[in-house]
Amino acid sequence: MVSPRRRAAIELVLDNLVWFILAVVLAIFSIAVPNYFQIGIFANIVEQSTFVATLSIGLSLLIIAGYMDLSIESVMALAAMVVGILFAKSGVGIGLTLDPEWLIVPASLVIALAVGALVGASNAFFVVRLRMNAFIVTLAAYIWGRGLVVALSGGRSAQELPPALRFLAIERFLSFPLIAWVSIVATLAFAFILNKTPFGRHLLLIGGNAQAAYRAGINVDRLTAITFVIAGAMAGLAGWLLAIRTSGATANLGVGMLFQAFAAVVIGGVSLKGGVGSLTGVYAGVLLLASIQTAINLMGLPAHFTQLIQGGMVLVAVLLDTVKLSIRKKLI
Amino acid sequence: MSTEPLLVLDGITKNFGAIEALKGVSFSMRGGEVVALLGDNGAGKSTLVKIISGGLERSGGRMVYDGREISFSSPAEAKAAGIETVYQDLSLCTNVDVVANFFMGREIVKRFLGIPVLQERAMEAVTAKAIADAGTRIPSLRTNVEHLSGGQRQAIELNRFVHWGGKLVLLDEPFAALGVEQTRRGLDMIKKVAAQGIGVIIITHIMTQAFQVADRMVVIRQGQVAGDVRTAETSADEVVRMITGEAAKAVPGTREDARTTGVA
Repeated sequence: MVSPRRRAAIELVLDNLVWFILAVVLAIFSIAVPNYFQIGIFANIVEQSTFVATLSIGLSLLIIAGYMDLSIESVMALAAMVVGILFAKSGVGIGLTLDPEWLIVPASLVIALAVGALVGASNAFFVVRLRMNAFIVTLAAYIWGRGLVVALSGGRSAQELPPALRFLAIERFLSFPLIAWVSIVATLAFAFILNKTPFGRHLLLIGGNAQAAYRAGINVDRLTAITFVIAGAMAGLAGWLLAIRTSGATANLGVGMLFQAFAAVVIGGVSLKGGVGSLTGVYAGVLLLASIQTAINLMGLPAHFTQLIQGGMVLVAVLLDTVKLSIRKKLI
Repeated sequence: MSTEPLLVLDGITKNFGAIEALKGVSFSMRGGEVVALLGDNGAGKSTLVKIISGGLERSGGRMVYDGREISFSSPAEAKAAGIETVYQDLSLCTNVDVVANFFMGREIVKRFLGIPVLQERAMEAVTAKAIADAGTRIPSLRTNVEHLSGGQRQAIELNRFVHWGGKLVLLDEPFAALGVEQTRRGLDMIKKVAAQGIGVIIITHIMTQAFQVADRMVVIRQGQVAGDVRTAETSADEVVRMITGEAAKAVPGTREDARTTGVA
């Protein structure tokens, strides 16, 4: 038997393991890698994390509920391209202007969220109504979503978003650009929803035992459908942020981010079996991946080392999950 | 016990494709009455319970509950009408703690700016009281259910139905994983619940349990009611013969028969 206080301490460490690992990794890099220990570098890590962190929100919620969404990367690119085509001044952009100018911020945001929510709703229809496998449905959307991006843009890019939108990527608050704050606020908001509201509680219940949740009177189908729409909308938000950051969109925008999001979700402690996970943990997972990438860049190593290390990290994360479980069993 | 029937089943049928699981089941019960639903494996007991609890839709027949003709298309509707169900395979989410399971779908919330926020402390207090009242011991209410034993899990499920009550409780083999002492407590719980005027339908395979707790026995055989008797007016032998179908062949009502063929 373990004393309650000691048990609480161990639980605290286990629950926030990824944050401890992040702290250790940052400390090691700060000592070992020249020029790593700077506010600018840390700010850069947070800025880099913006897009994968936003993508990971919806993915985490769906995995926690026992589903998955492979389409988020393409949805993100699609939303970015639609914003690019509508508001960018050159390339395939048609350069719409609004009066007053600042209206472009809410207008483009709503459009990006709507594009994402629409694809999410389509995924939800196939998975929830037609009972198709989520893996296949969202894989299809991953493929056609990217196809649509290329079709809409003709393979060309949209450039030069107006300054009324660009300021979000340039202006900083507490040394992070505003777009990074958008992803942090979105993560915290959904962390709150997951931990403190009935909606989040019911998602966990569905992920744990959908049959029991249904019997308890929870509207499982409705909740699942809403979560797919949220995942789409969050991918749309990531697309909006990415368009602002890159001042437009290219046909191959964000390729590979799906796998980074999956890696972050697993490293962040979300169980692929469903029912377990926290969004702040996932954010730490994203930061961890970005810190490693930054360290590799600073050391001047070739970029493919990043992939090697990140792949290894995913394996370690799953291994840690197993170890955590057996430690918890011993605590009881 | 009230005089108005709480639940009336009238010719309930259920087909799964070409298979007729229920071929017209009729019986009625009052609030405060404990009815044991007996029958061999595959007789259709669980199907009947699922129809009453909204888990399955019936193919035909009428169901009158609390004075109204009803038809539930989901467990949520049955629950809203006051029908609680304890299933054979437990309906717990092992990935969350005892409190979350106890309140599943009925969480206590407080609204801040219109956003419902879970009230964990209040829920924990209610759970602790309900579990203590029932005399169940669980190390920590914040433990995930996956770390609890089979008996503890079943106790949570039983405490849940006692707490939420409603008007009608359906129990499908509720004591399958319980020890002797816990089963005794479970049976007491059922009596306590019935004494509050709640109707109880319990499916069980164990004859002694049925005789201990039930006011009436309804035997289902091949999708039909093969017997509907008061516990005080029957014997285990008679019920067994109804379950196996021998009663139809024997001359009904002769106690001689029971004595000569009875092993006990």
